[in-house]
Amino acid sequence: MKKFLFIALAAIALSSCADVSGALFAGGDGTYDFKNTYLDLEFHVDESKIHLLDLESGTQDTIYALYVGDFAQIATDTIIVFLHGNTPSMDSYWQTAGLFANLVNKHHYGFIMYDYRGFGWSTGRSTGAESMAADYDAVLSFLQAQGLTSDRMVVVANSLGSLPAGPAAAGGSRIPVQKLVMEVPQSTANVIMQNATGLSLPASMITSYKFDLGQNMEDYSGELLWMHGTEDDVAPIETAEAAMQKHQGTHYQEALYEGAGHGLRWDIGDEEWSKVVLDFIRH
Amino acid sequence: MMKMKYVVVLCTLVLATSCTPTKVVVPLEEGQWQIGVTQGRPQFNEGFLPVLGGYAAKGISSTKTNYGGIQFSSLFLGAVQLEAGQVATLVPQQGLNPGISYSYGAQSFMSTRDYAFRFYPEAGLNAFFQAGPHILNVSANTWVDPTWFLADFGRGQILAPSFSAGYRLRYKWFEAQLEYKILNPTREIHIPQAYVPNTSGLGGKGFFYGIAINF
Repeated sequence: MKKFLFIALAAIALSSCADVSGALFAGGDGTYDFKNTYLDLEFHVDESKIHLLDLESGTQDTIYALYVGDFAQIATDTIIVFLHGNTPSMDSYWQTAGLFANLVNKHHYGFIMYDYRGFGWSTGRSTGAESMAADYDAVLSFLQAQGLTSDRMVVVANSLGSLPAGPAAAGGSRIPVQKLVMEVPQSTANVIMQNATGLSLPASMITSYKFDLGQNMEDYSGELLWMHGTEDDVAPIETAEAAMQKHQGTHYQEALYEGAGHGLRWDIGDEEWSKVVLDFIRH
Repeated sequence: MMKMKYVVVLCTLVLATSCTPTKVVVPLEEGQWQIGVTQGRPQFNEGFLPVLGGYAAKGISSTKTNYGGIQFSSLFLGAVQLEAGQVATLVPQQGLNPGISYSYGAQSFMSTRDYAFRFYPEAGLNAFFQAGPHILNVSANTWVDPTWFLADFGRGQILAPSFSAGYRLRYKWFEAQLEYKILNPTREIHIPQAYVPNTSGLGGKGFFYGIAINF
C-alpha cells in the first residue's frame, strides 16, 4: 500500500498537465480573398459592402472579422452574428456570408463573422472558454459602438461556434441574445470524453475547458432554433438533443433532417436551410 | 481541414483508458520480478496511436502474480492512471490442453486539475498455451464502471469489455509481448472529426506491444 501511495504521489508530481483544449481548435491560415468570383451567382454581393475589420481581443490579441453590409445599417437593421465551425479560417464560410447577405433580398440583413484567435489572420491562440468569450466580446463591442441593440441581433452558431455562443446566450453577452440559431452544436466537454472512452470519465482528466451547452440552454431565456442531421458523426444528434432540449426560453424550434450529416447546409440544400432560418428570424 | 495534433490528442483518449494491454497471462515463478513498458497502438484514421505505459509484477507463489502499472500517456494529459491486480492460475496447462488463468484488479484515474476521481474494477480470463519460451493466449477482460450514472445525459454503461489474442516470448531474463485487442465492442466509440476502426460499428481495436525484463 505504501508503494502504491508513493507511486500515486510521484505520478501527480510528474504529471505534465498538458491541456488538450488548445488542440481542439483547428485554426490555420487564411487568405481572406473575399470576392464574388468565389460565390455562386445568386449569392453575389455588392463588393463595396465587404469590410475586413481588425478588432482588439483581450489585451494582447487582434482578431479579424468580416462585415458585409453598410456600417450605418448596424444602428437600424437586423444584424446576423455568425460564429463559424472548426475550419482553419472564415475563408470556408464566404459562401455562407453570401447566403446571409442575400436572405430576403440583397443586403437586407447585415452580416458579420470573425476568426477566433489562431484562426486565419487572428493572432494568439484559442485555449478555451476565456479566449473564446473575449473574441466574441470584441465583436460585440464593435457592434454595440455602432448602435446594435438586442432586439435586432441574431446569433447563428455553427458547430464549434456553439461553444462560445452557449455562454453568451446564457448571459455572457454585452448585447443580450434574444435569437439564437444552433446549427449542428456539440453538447458538453464531458460527452466528448465519454464518447471517446466509453467510460464515465469527466473532461477534467484532459482539459480545463468545461463547456456545457445543456446548462447554457437552461439559463438562456430567449428564442432558440436548433438544426441538426441524424447522421452527424462530429456532433452526435442524441447528445446535442439532450443539451438543446434543456432550453426553457420564450420560443423553441427544431429542424431535424433524416440522413443529413455535419455539413447540414450542403446536405439539405440552401433553399431549405434559408427557409428555416428566415422563418425563425421573422418569428 | 483539421490539424493532426487535434486527432492525435483526442484519439489518445480512447486509449488512455481501455487500451491498457494484458500485463501477465501466465503467472511468474515465485519470487520472480518482471518490469516492463508497453505501447498500445489503437487504430484511428489510417494510422495508430502510441499509448505508453509501464508496469511491475512479482510472482508471490507459483500460481499467483501481483502487478501494478501506470499509463504515461494519461499522465501527460493531466490524469494519474494507476492500476493494480493479480493473475492466478485456474487450470494448469497439461500437455496439449491449454491452461487457464484469471485476473482481477482495478484501474484508477485522478484528474490533476480538479482531483475528480474514477475507480474501475476489472476482471479477466486467459487461455494460454506454453511451449518452452513461447506463450500463446486468448483473453477476455472487462472493466466495471460503478459510476456509469455520472456520464452526461444518462449514456453510461456498466461494462467495458475487451477481447485479445497474443504471443509472448518469455526467455530467461527477457520477455517480448504482442497482442491484438478489440476494445469495448458494446458501444460506439466516437471522436469528433476522426475515424476509429471498429467491429461492426462498435468499439476500437489495435495492436499492443510490450517488452519486459525478468529477474
